[in-house]
Amino acid sequence: MHSTRQTIIFVFIMTAIVALVLSFMSTGLKPVHDKNEAVYNKKAILSAVKDQIGDGFDALTDDQISDIFTKQIEQKVMDMEGGFISKEDVMAAGYKGGMAENLDMAKEKKKPESDRLLPVYIYTADDNKKYYIFNVRGNGLWDEIWGNIAFESDLNTIAGVSFDHKAETPGLGAEIKDNKDWAGQFIGKKIYADDGMYKSVGVIKGGAKDPVHEVDGISGATITADGVAEMMKRGLKYYEPFIKMSKKG
Amino acid sequence: MADVQVAKKEAAFGFGKKERKLLVDPLNDNNPITVQVLGICSALAVTTLLDKALVMSIAVIFVCAFANLFTSLLRMYIPKQVRMIVQLVIIAFLVTVVELTLKAVDYNIYKELSVFIGLIITNCIIMGRLEAFAMANNPWRSFLDGVGNGIGYGIILIIVAMIREFFGKGSLLGYKILGPSSDFLITIPGYQPNNLMVLFPSAMFVIGVLIWVHRAWNRKLIDIS
Amino acid sequence: MGELVNIFIKSAFIENLALAYFLGMCSYLAVSKSVKTAFGLGLAVIFVLGITMPINWVINTALLSENGLFGMDLTFLRLILFIAVIASMVQLVEMVIEKVSPSLYNSLGIFLPLITVNCAILGGSLFMVSKEYNFGESVAFGLGGGFGWFLAIVAIAAIREKIRYSAVPGPLRGLGMAFILTGLMGMAFMSLMGIDPAAF
Repeated sequence: MHSTRQTIIFVFIMTAIVALVLSFMSTGLKPVHDKNEAVYNKKAILSAVKDQIGDGFDALTDDQISDIFTKQIEQKVMDMEGGFISKEDVMAAGYKGGMAENLDMAKEKKKPESDRLLPVYIYTADDNKKYYIFNVRGNGLWDEIWGNIAFESDLNTIAGVSFDHKAETPGLGAEIKDNKDWAGQFIGKKIYADDGMYKSVGVIKGGAKDPVHEVDGISGATITADGVAEMMKRGLKYYEPFIKMSKKG
Repeated sequence: MADVQVAKKEAAFGFGKKERKLLVDPLNDNNPITVQVLGICSALAVTTLLDKALVMSIAVIFVCAFANLFTSLLRMYIPKQVRMIVQLVIIAFLVTVVELTLKAVDYNIYKELSVFIGLIITNCIIMGRLEAFAMANNPWRSFLDGVGNGIGYGIILIIVAMIREFFGKGSLLGYKILGPSSDFLITIPGYQPNNLMVLFPSAMFVIGVLIWVHRAWNRKLIDIS
Repeated sequence: MGELVNIFIKSAFIENLALAYFLGMCSYLAVSKSVKTAFGLGLAVIFVLGITMPINWVINTALLSENGLFGMDLTFLRLILFIAVIASMVQLVEMVIEKVSPSLYNSLGIFLPLITVNCAILGGSLFMVSKEYNFGESVAFGLGGGFGWFLAIVAIAAIREKIRYSAVPGPLRGLGMAFILTGLMGMAFMSLMGIDPAAF
């Protein structure tokens, strides 16, 4: 039988060894983790313009992704009035790095609407065309869903979308991310009507009727699809001050 | 729970009949999932896609084998009063190692598996093997037992994931095989994959039917109570 | 307050730990042969989830996060600390119950050690982290999740008691049938998916 003293010594030594090895591993791998995370974020943003980048998008290596991102993306942080915010102010808001890609949109979503920060990414394609990528975030069936929406330079026509989710059901709600054909429907849709009224893009169960402002729903995932429509309608509206200012010149 | 086997004094690193039995037994007669019914939780959650199931199987084989090895090495020194916590710390340590490694190697899979990597800790197979085997056997045998049970678990996981991914999405490992459009290998116009197969309840049905088939084939396992 | 009630209802019925996430299945299947034992285990789970969730919340925010006591990111210790808290809480609860109410201990005692390796407990804590709940919400989530698990195990135990007298094919008897039943119950619970408790 072990005495209490032996027990304590054993537990103490074991805890020390375990904590030491783990902290060693964690510190050693941190640069790799950070890089992976950064590339993951960059890839999510770039996948909104993946048709513009070209066919080989899925095969791009991590370095190529970072490279395209640094060279062809201009990133800005905006407040809810549409004014740009300096790097220092973004850092003061708690984001090390101070760039749009450092924003934690889940955290922003918890703030009151008027205090939120919004990222704007401007992608310059190889043919010098500009695309604007906006970030939207909302709720699916189980948890949050979010997406990056790329616009043509008219800031009205959608050029590409990429959605992602935290915990939607694979094969149903998760299709917003996995089903490229479904996401492809958004391309060419417009968020403003001809008279300039803001309409966003609806997701319609049973088939879209309006060819300009509606796409088909996903069978078996009505709530997630409705969530997508809601987050686009609300999320893109946040960018309206920016859109109006850009249009004025 | 499995029977406790006490090792006799034999060569520490031999590989005879008994060692073979340690590896093969968990694959059939003493399968962790279909016979011992341990470690079900993760088996259900990660089997929607084959690649997730593969990564999970490898992780469990690793954790199970090394947790067995370490526990067996320490078995003379572990104080009885804190036995459980010590075992859990060993497992949690190994799982954290797996998590940190996966996060560095394949970030996408890491994101997809999310909390389920952490849940390997409470995978009762591992705890069960530590308690029933590693505490009473030498390190080499414990290691083999861990590998055997890990593989026994992995096989079922992979079978279930194959069935679910194939019938639920018409693909395997992401390669499209059977579906309605022309980008699938075999095209059947109008074919709809069964969405139910990727939902949680279908994992239950698939494992239930697997147990049925397994016991119909290996009739000594039938529950007579 | 309304928010907390929502989380309770949501975690108990809509996102049921046992029937929607299928957590804690090992003990769920092993201890659901009779209603009486299932009832005892279910109560113990509510209890342990209700205690460990807030403690793990405090550990996670006060010690492990970057803004915590040590000022650095210690999340790599999360799994170990969570499981240590759960194991020691279970042991503590066991000791307290033994002292205070020996009769409760006798009916509950054998299940308590089992709870440590019940993935619903650790899973609950990990979900709490990934959902970024605050303290009050984590208490509601713990109690609600425990209650949902309790309901699920008592329900399956009741069905299994009845089905013992049915002519189930030999190889399917016992476990095989329990799996298929749980699948069916899961499907039934799926119909609750997407209900927003705040709408009522």
